[in-house]
Amino acid sequence: MRSPPGRLMLVAGFDWSFISENRDELLAGLGRTLLVSSIAVAGAFVVGLVLGAARAYRIPVVSQLAAAYVEIIRNTPILVQIFFLFFGLPQVGILLDGFTVACLALVVWGGAFNTENFRAGFEAVPHRFREAGAALGFGRFGTFLNVSLPIGGRIALPPSINTYISVVKNSSLLYVIAYPELTTTALNINALTLQTVETFTTLAVTYLVVVWTLSGLIRLLESHLALPEPS
Amino acid sequence: MPDWFEPTARYMAEEGLKGTLRIAAFALVGSTLIGIVLGTLLTVRYRPTRSLIRLYIEIWRGLPILVTIFIIFFALPAVSAQLEFDPFTAAAIGLTLWGSAQVAEATRGAVESIPREQHEAAAALGFGWVGRHAYVILPQALRRLLPPLVSLLVNIIQNTTIAQVIGAAELLETAERSVERLTAPPPIGPAEVHAFEIYAGVMAVFFLISFPLTRLAAYLERRLV
Repeated sequence: MRSPPGRLMLVAGFDWSFISENRDELLAGLGRTLLVSSIAVAGAFVVGLVLGAARAYRIPVVSQLAAAYVEIIRNTPILVQIFFLFFGLPQVGILLDGFTVACLALVVWGGAFNTENFRAGFEAVPHRFREAGAALGFGRFGTFLNVSLPIGGRIALPPSINTYISVVKNSSLLYVIAYPELTTTALNINALTLQTVETFTTLAVTYLVVVWTLSGLIRLLESHLALPEPS
Repeated sequence: MPDWFEPTARYMAEEGLKGTLRIAAFALVGSTLIGIVLGTLLTVRYRPTRSLIRLYIEIWRGLPILVTIFIIFFALPAVSAQLEFDPFTAAAIGLTLWGSAQVAEATRGAVESIPREQHEAAAALGFGWVGRHAYVILPQALRRLLPPLVSLLVNIIQNTTIAQVIGAAELLETAERSVERLTAPPPIGPAEVHAFEIYAGVMAVFFLISFPLTRLAAYLERRLV
C-alpha cells in the first residue's frame, strides 16, 4: 500500500483491506470468545448463587469449603490457574482439552468472585425481611426463594456484572493454551500477514466494542432491575 | 528434598520472584502517581479534560491487560523504532496504564466524597486550586483511597504473570522454563515431569503474598470508612 509521506502513518498507512481479508477468521475467533464467555458467565452465576447462599446462611461444611475455595482462587493469578489446569494436571493423569480448560478456568475464577458478590448481597438483606417471610408462613427455603433471592440478588447485581465483564476480558488469557479465541486468532493472523498495526488495532477495537456494549447494556438492565427504594 | 528441587526453587526465587516484584513496584508507583493526578483532574468541571480522561480510563479498563501489553510490545515498534521496549518495561507500562485507570476512578470518588465546606474553607484561607487540593483535599481523600490501593497492589502482583506471555523472566516464566528444562532428556535435563508441583508451588507463593494483603485491605476498609 502506498502511504503518502509526511502524513500520519497510522491514518494513511492503515490497510483497510486487512479487515475484509481476515474477516471470517476474526469473526470465528470472536465467536469462540463469546461462546466460552457465555458458558463461563452462566457457570459463574450458578456457582456464585449456590455457594454465596451457603456462605451467607452458614451451611456447615459447605460454607467452610466455599470460603477456602474463594480465598485460594482470589489470591492466585488466573494465568497460573490456567497453566496448572492445562500443563500441571496431565502429570497426575488428568488430561483436559483446550475447550474444557478454557471453560473450567473461567467458571472457577468467576465463580469464586461471584460467591463473594452473592454472599455480600444476601447478607445485606435486612433480618426483619426474613422474619416477615417466616411470619407469612414460608419455610427457610421458601423465605430464601421469595424474599432473600429477589432482594439480595439485586443488591449483588452490579458487582457480579463487573465479574462477568472481567470474565470476558480474562478469556484473552486462553491465548497461553492456544485456544483459538479472539486474541489467539489475531496473533496467528499477525504471524502470517505481519500487518502488526492493523492486527492489534482491530483486536483492541473489537474488545472495546464488546466490553463497552456489554457495560452499556448492563447499565440499562441494572436501572431496570434496581430496587425501588434503598432497604 | 529431591535433587531437582533446590536449584529450581533457587532459580525461581532469585530470578523469577525478583522480576515479579520489579514489575509490580514500577507499576504500583506509576499507577498511583498518574491515577491520583488524573482522578483529581476528573473532578474539575471542564468538559474537554473530563472527556479526555474518561476516554483514557474507559480504554485501559476496557482492554484485557494482555492485549494492552501486546500492543505495547508488538504494535508500537511497528509504528516507530523508538517505541521498542524490552519485555519488562512493556509489561510494566501495560500494567501502569491499566492500574492508573483504576486509581483515577477511585480517586475521583474519594475526592468527591470530601464535603464542599472543606473546599470553601481552604479557599477562604487563600489557597488556590493546586494548594487547596495538595494540602487540604487530597490528604483527606488519601485515607479513603488506601483500601483500594492495597487491593490494586494485589491485582498488580497477580497480573504481573501476564508478562510471561512476552517472555519477561518473572515467576511464572521461570517456572515454565524450569518445567521445560526438567523435561528435557539427559544432556540438558533429567527428563522428569514436575509441572504439577512447580505450578502448584507458584500458586502457593502468590497465595502467601496476596492473602495477607487482601486481609489488610479488608481490615483498612472496615477501619477507615
